Amino acid sequence: MTPADPSGTGGPQAGPVPGLYPWPFDGDLRPDNTALLVIGMQRDYLCAGGWLDCAGHDIAPLAALSAPLGSTLSALRRAGLAVLHLREGHRPDLNDLPETKRWRSARMGAEIGHPGPLGRHLVRGAPGTDLVLPALPGEDIIEVTGRSGFYGTDLDALLRLRGLRNLVLAGALTDGMVQATLREANDRGYECLVLEDLCASTSPAQHAEQIRMFALAGGLWGSVGRSADLLAALEDPR
Amino acid sequence: MTVPARPYDWPLSGTPGPADTALILIDMQIDFCGEGGFAHQAGSDFALLQATIAPTRRVLRAFRAAGHFILHTREGHRPDLSDLNDNKRWRSARAGAEIGSPGPCGRMLTRGEPGWQIVPELVPLPTEPVIDKPGKGAFHATDLDHLLRRRGIRNLVFAGVTSDCCVHTTMSEACDRGYDCLLLEDCTASVLTAHHATILNLTLRDHGLFGAVTTSTAVLEALPAPTNAPSGAPDPL
Repeated sequence: MTPADPSGTGGPQAGPVPGLYPWPFDGDLRPDNTALLVIGMQRDYLCAGGWLDCAGHDIAPLAALSAPLGSTLSALRRAGLAVLHLREGHRPDLNDLPETKRWRSARMGAEIGHPGPLGRHLVRGAPGTDLVLPALPGEDIIEVTGRSGFYGTDLDALLRLRGLRNLVLAGALTDGMVQATLREANDRGYECLVLEDLCASTSPAQHAEQIRMFALAGGLWGSVGRSADLLAALEDPR
Repeated sequence: MTVPARPYDWPLSGTPGPADTALILIDMQIDFCGEGGFAHQAGSDFALLQATIAPTRRVLRAFRAAGHFILHTREGHRPDLSDLNDNKRWRSARAGAEIGSPGPCGRMLTRGEPGWQIVPELVPLPTEPVIDKPGKGAFHATDLDHLLRRRGIRNLVFAGVTSDCCVHTTMSEACDRGYDCLLLEDCTASVLTAHHATILNLTLRDHGLFGAVTTSTAVLEALPAPTNAPSGAPDPL
């Protein structure tokens, strides 16, 4: 955590970040009130033999995320942002797997809990849930069973405890965990920025549709921007 | 057949069965019930908590045999303490047992430490979910509600510690969520007997403000005798 600066404002003011609107809405962008959520950067999504690959999806757009997201992650760490990692996975006894979700995954040809090349699909502790961009000490990992990172987790408690009000979302899938987490974060009062160049879905068209949807009413759930603009804003305190 | 209880025979929906009734054991950890744990370090009379282990073990064995869904909760924080409220830390330090600081059973109330483990007499089976909770209430910041709804559970039998703290907070949360709760009074305790009595009275007030109260004996008599030995692994108890 970034210590508060002597002026008592909690770090230099940065921003704003261009996008659907100058983000954040009130201009209060500081390293100590802003978190990066790295979403779904796990082998089950990105790697050959992982869950999505076994289900017949094109993982190339997801695999292409790891290098640019990795370098932005490093830069945002240096800028002092809090980092949290969200990943999808179930308890090994599958007590948290709804029948509907199991049925749909079986229909996709890669039933959750069944063995695959990277261990049991989407089961905590299996190699498939390993993060492609590992968490550093002090960076919490949130185990997600649903679409949204807030459902049935301590994410909201962790963010509130640290006074993290601005959320930067990046990762996979744009039309899965990213959009579901964005919607719930917004309902809880967080000010969100989706990094469109650092999110992806299994098809570029689905990603583009989501990004277009986020633009509804000029940013109904937050802003959409680009990683280079965020980094520039943070490196150039006003 | 319902369970004879005060102030109403429980549950309101009729005969409780494995399909709709779960047993939840709250925080039966070394940190509360064991020598050198958090409660002991904070100067509490943990023997009162320890006394709940034997009746709770009988209830656990019977609910396992009858095929009920069983859950265990564990109070404890992430090792980096990122989920520890400043005021909770301050209060624990004031009590002489700061959460996260070392004690005879490892870092107090910290996930992965020896004191955080569930007591050996009640160790969960692999099929019994364990809920790691940072708060007093087991619904806060956990997947407990998700697990219960997925199984169609609407009735909850409560045992564990402490009656005036985590047990009551969780029962209160459960009540608000529409679960019909039954507290087993000899399977729960507080380090202060007066607090325990207050909680029982509060639960019973206004026709069961937070559910119903009964004893382990009453609930064991009301459980149907298992027709067969449960399939799978033998009961380790």
